[in-house]
Amino acid sequence: MKLRTTAPIVLAAALVLTTAACGGGGGSGQPAGDGKSFEFWSFTGINQKRTVEDYKKINPNVQVKLTEVGTSTETAQSLTTALAGGKVPDLVLIQGDNLPQFVQQPQNFQDLRQYGADKIKGDYLDWVMSQATAKTGEIIGIPTDVGGLAVAYRTDLFKKAGLPTDRDEVSKLWPTWDAFIETGKKYTAATGKAFVDNAGTSVFYQAVNQGPQKYHDPSGNVVYSTSPQVKSAFDYALKAIQAGITAKQSSFEENWIAGMSKGDYAVVSAPSWMLNQIRDYAPGLKGKWDIATIPGGAGNWGGSYLAIPKGAANPKAAWDYISTMQSPQNQLAHFLDVGSLPTTPSVYKDPKLLAEKDEFFSDAPIGKIYTDSVLGLKPFLIGPESAAIGQEFLNAITNVEQGKGDPAKAWDTALANIKTAIGK
Amino acid sequence: MPEAEARVRQSLAERVAPYAYIAPFFLLFAVFGLVPLLFTFYVALFDWNPIGEHVFIGFDNFTRLFGDTRFWDAAWNTISIWLLSTVPQLLIALVLAHLLNHARLRLAVFFRMSMLVPYITSVAATTVVFAQMFDRDYGLLNWLLGLFGVGPIDFLQSGWGSHTMIAVMVTWRWFGYTTLLYLASLQAVPRTIYEAASVDGAGAWKQFRHISVPSLRPVIVFTIVTSTIGGLQIFTEPLLVSNTSPLTCGPARHCQTLTLFLYEQGFGQFQFGYGSAIGVALFVLIIAVATLNYVLSTRIRPERG
Repeated sequence: MKLRTTAPIVLAAALVLTTAACGGGGGSGQPAGDGKSFEFWSFTGINQKRTVEDYKKINPNVQVKLTEVGTSTETAQSLTTALAGGKVPDLVLIQGDNLPQFVQQPQNFQDLRQYGADKIKGDYLDWVMSQATAKTGEIIGIPTDVGGLAVAYRTDLFKKAGLPTDRDEVSKLWPTWDAFIETGKKYTAATGKAFVDNAGTSVFYQAVNQGPQKYHDPSGNVVYSTSPQVKSAFDYALKAIQAGITAKQSSFEENWIAGMSKGDYAVVSAPSWMLNQIRDYAPGLKGKWDIATIPGGAGNWGGSYLAIPKGAANPKAAWDYISTMQSPQNQLAHFLDVGSLPTTPSVYKDPKLLAEKDEFFSDAPIGKIYTDSVLGLKPFLIGPESAAIGQEFLNAITNVEQGKGDPAKAWDTALANIKTAIGK
Repeated sequence: MPEAEARVRQSLAERVAPYAYIAPFFLLFAVFGLVPLLFTFYVALFDWNPIGEHVFIGFDNFTRLFGDTRFWDAAWNTISIWLLSTVPQLLIALVLAHLLNHARLRLAVFFRMSMLVPYITSVAATTVVFAQMFDRDYGLLNWLLGLFGVGPIDFLQSGWGSHTMIAVMVTWRWFGYTTLLYLASLQAVPRTIYEAASVDGAGAWKQFRHISVPSLRPVIVFTIVTSTIGGLQIFTEPLLVSNTSPLTCGPARHCQTLTLFLYEQGFGQFQFGYGSAIGVALFVLIIAVATLNYVLSTRIRPERG
């Protein structure tokens, strides 16, 4: 009798205690680090595993717990949740488009100046570094790579269409986006097939990343509706759709991958990080791709940063990793190994970089092509709303491309949607 | 220790014990149900950056919400998908349950059990397979239509197409479960009533209409209420059908449901306050629709005379 009545009371009390303990455990204090290990969140498709392995060779007694959280966006989402909840990794990779929302809240991160970031910041491209610097001066990230622009094209399909296949001659076909669209018309007329995969990412997202001003003016005000570069990029995309040269395959969709293998399109705009994706998705096309310069010559899309959250248990171990692996020499080594473009201009003239050829892409000199596109770039400001704005423009273009949106109204629709989305 | 004191303590424990027995549920419900719910109402009054400031703005989120075309579009999509999936699902289940209860089937248990397979299959797997079947370029359905010179139809990019596609997935997943609920309930109906009816000359339809449906009334009300709650919260299917813009279910938000809109605002844009306001609006909508359904469906009454 006694047991039967007291047991539930004890159980209930225990439950109260455990739930209370769960509530309190999250945010309390900083766990003590051991200095010999750190937890590292990265995203898929960027191959940080390789860099971590290299680091372990130099520092065999350091344990790195690497987690590939998901896509770059998913990683940023998990990081936000982790920062709000208090249980954070020691080191995290943040993609450039997601960075501004974190830079605006620098109190969530370690100011890397305390470890000497201001002494090495001169090693990196100025405009890349300034994107990781808060208004109040804190440096919260060190750049790992930039996304110089170029165009990947299929030599075999170009040959069938009677177009030149040599990369210099192909580059000369499209000094401008207008010329790019004209070339596309010739290709489509000759083959009956689409020229480029889609208008949203392969035209708009490239062209919009090529001028001195994108969605924000230099002081951070949103100017997407009046920025001439945005409007012209949008118009190029519509023009490409109306010319009938796009395959209507949105990047990274399954059909985009299937279409790539099947030769449904001959051209993909390829920021430097895209090369790995093409290689992975359609390995059978080795030697059938080559790389030409981007219409307009220069530009940047993407690139990532390493940051250390404020509550990290092993910030020093994480910093040692950053300062070692992101030195100009190691960024060069990483480029030669997996192809992500260094952010350190001192190695851009390095003979090893200039001599680097990519076998998969018909021995294209990717080091030279991509660094040229980054050096010719006019830097622009990326703001916390940039990702949302870009997504709405992309949606409006895709909607026209899929035959559902009215091209004459697309621009106004996009502006209205952006205003609803970001409130300005 | 005096005898009386011990008895008082004993009886106190006995009086508390029942509450302690039910306490685990209510404690867990409070921690994981009630507190988050109340907290959502609270957050909805703020401009809430999860890693930054929380600014009290009163009902501004709601004012903004009611003027937000995306919200009304999402509400319409939700109701449309819910109707397209719930109505056929309940009707199919009703007919199937009636048939399974009556027809002299070989392998009856096999047929009854196999209807649960869609229900126990992972939603993600179902969605991926169906999305592939409805695909514009390489889909099975468009291939079939192509044999008849129709199409290809871009289901995902049109309003009715995407709603139908998602409704088919939802119906597929739930019809077996609902059928079994109806069947279980039908088996409790004495066979003599059906026999008496057929002696009186009632055909299959009349038996279905005047015996099966009225005797299923309580369970029909139950399934209508649960499928309203579930149907208005459809999330996984619309999230997974579009790879390029998953959070909006395609570039033009054709099939973005309210829960997906909530997720986009809360966890895509990290506007926790606005996301919470959407959650509150959804909460009110579900209560309203469920009440309406309850009132309407209680009008199914056994025929008299």
